[in-house]
Amino acid sequence: MDSTAILVIVTLTLVGLGCGLAIYLANKFLPEEDETLKAAEKVNQYLPGMDCGACGKPGCFAYARDVAQDLETLQATPCMALMNDDDALGKLGQSLGVDLSGGVRKVAVIHCTGESEVIFDYQGVSTCKSSMQVSAGFKKCPYGCLGLGDCAEVCPVDAISIDREKKIAVIDPERCIGCGLCVKECPNDLIELIPVEMPQYLGCNYLSKKDIPRREKCDVGCIHCRLCVKAAEGDEVKWDDEKDLPYFDPEKSLPAPDSIEKCPRNIIIPRKVK
Amino acid sequence: MNNLFSIFIGMALINNFILTRFLGLCPFFGVSKKLSSAVSMGVAVILVMAGASAITWVLFFKVLVPFGVDYMSTVIFILVIASLVQIVEISIRRTNITLYNALGIYLPLITTNCAVLGVTFINARSDFTFVETMASAFGAGVGFTLVLAIMSGIRERLELADIPESFEGVPVAFLVAMMLGMAFLAFGGMV
Repeated sequence: MDSTAILVIVTLTLVGLGCGLAIYLANKFLPEEDETLKAAEKVNQYLPGMDCGACGKPGCFAYARDVAQDLETLQATPCMALMNDDDALGKLGQSLGVDLSGGVRKVAVIHCTGESEVIFDYQGVSTCKSSMQVSAGFKKCPYGCLGLGDCAEVCPVDAISIDREKKIAVIDPERCIGCGLCVKECPNDLIELIPVEMPQYLGCNYLSKKDIPRREKCDVGCIHCRLCVKAAEGDEVKWDDEKDLPYFDPEKSLPAPDSIEKCPRNIIIPRKVK
Repeated sequence: MNNLFSIFIGMALINNFILTRFLGLCPFFGVSKKLSSAVSMGVAVILVMAGASAITWVLFFKVLVPFGVDYMSTVIFILVIASLVQIVEISIRRTNITLYNALGIYLPLITTNCAVLGVTFINARSDFTFVETMASAFGAGVGFTLVLAIMSGIRERLELADIPESFEGVPVAFLVAMMLGMAFLAFGGMV
């Protein structure tokens, strides 16, 4: 071997060794890392590690830090790859000392049928939030779905589509992963996460106690007749006095077929439950 | 002093890394959606560029050139930059948690950033002294941060604008980048 080859090998080896030694020394002599980072590291080893960003965090480690700080993160912005991996989920629960296996899967529903009449011709920026700034939306009901798709925009799995004719968002319960991004996005707070077993939901959000003066009432929404509560056998339908609307207990998820039938406006919408 | 200043301006504005040399385009489009993260990324790049330039200058002019193996610069520079980023990351992580939160995931991203490797090569090729090297590295980093900040400011505004659907997102960002590039052409005759 000539001397140049040896020189090349020696230089590269020495520089490589030097770099390795520098990292080793930095690792050894720097102070211990912060407690929060250690907790995050513990969570991080059970995450998929793909840094896909579907949870909304910049990477798996950022997600692990949020989970380590607040367990609610797992429900609010679930990592779907983790949720589908029972093994990793069980181990994560074990290391955190909580049971994660029995979680109830939740899906989003829209509390509106979109049937309310369009009374203005809105030509501004095409988002629900902007159109709400102009005399509370362009529909007769000031609390209803405007169908401009702010929720569809943020949905990470394309589960929300827009019915252009009715101007309403439609959620596909099969695709919905219950991440709750749309719940935060809707300016009218129409979207709610309900347990996947819930047999029906209310298709109205008319807040009569916040009535806007001189605005006609929606002629397809709830008329507050309470027939649904009277038709119920047990306590499957309850009355929300604050909103002046019926609601269904998410803890029990009981079916209320009589109430669905009795409703004069047909706004209690049955869901297909497997 | 005059020379140092012209090197600094030359690297920051006239031969701007992103708009004139077309280096570091991935973070230019990837990290320019929010002003805060763009600035974090920019600060991280300035740090790493300065560190990498200092170390590679010593290695190149005191080791590689005297032994006549300067053709090894590519592999050695990559090795040095990768391990430097590692060291900077763990030291920030262990000593200053606030700074670590601000820089977040951008530090490890820089390991594979061509702009950092680019500045070390340009310095080696231009036969700079050590002080000139530092001026050039700092100028390159400042120019990179400046363009990233301008771009993210524009893109934050674009979010609110009513753009034709087919242009939303990256296409309109490309158009903006073109116009920014043309604007930076005007610096051409300065030095």
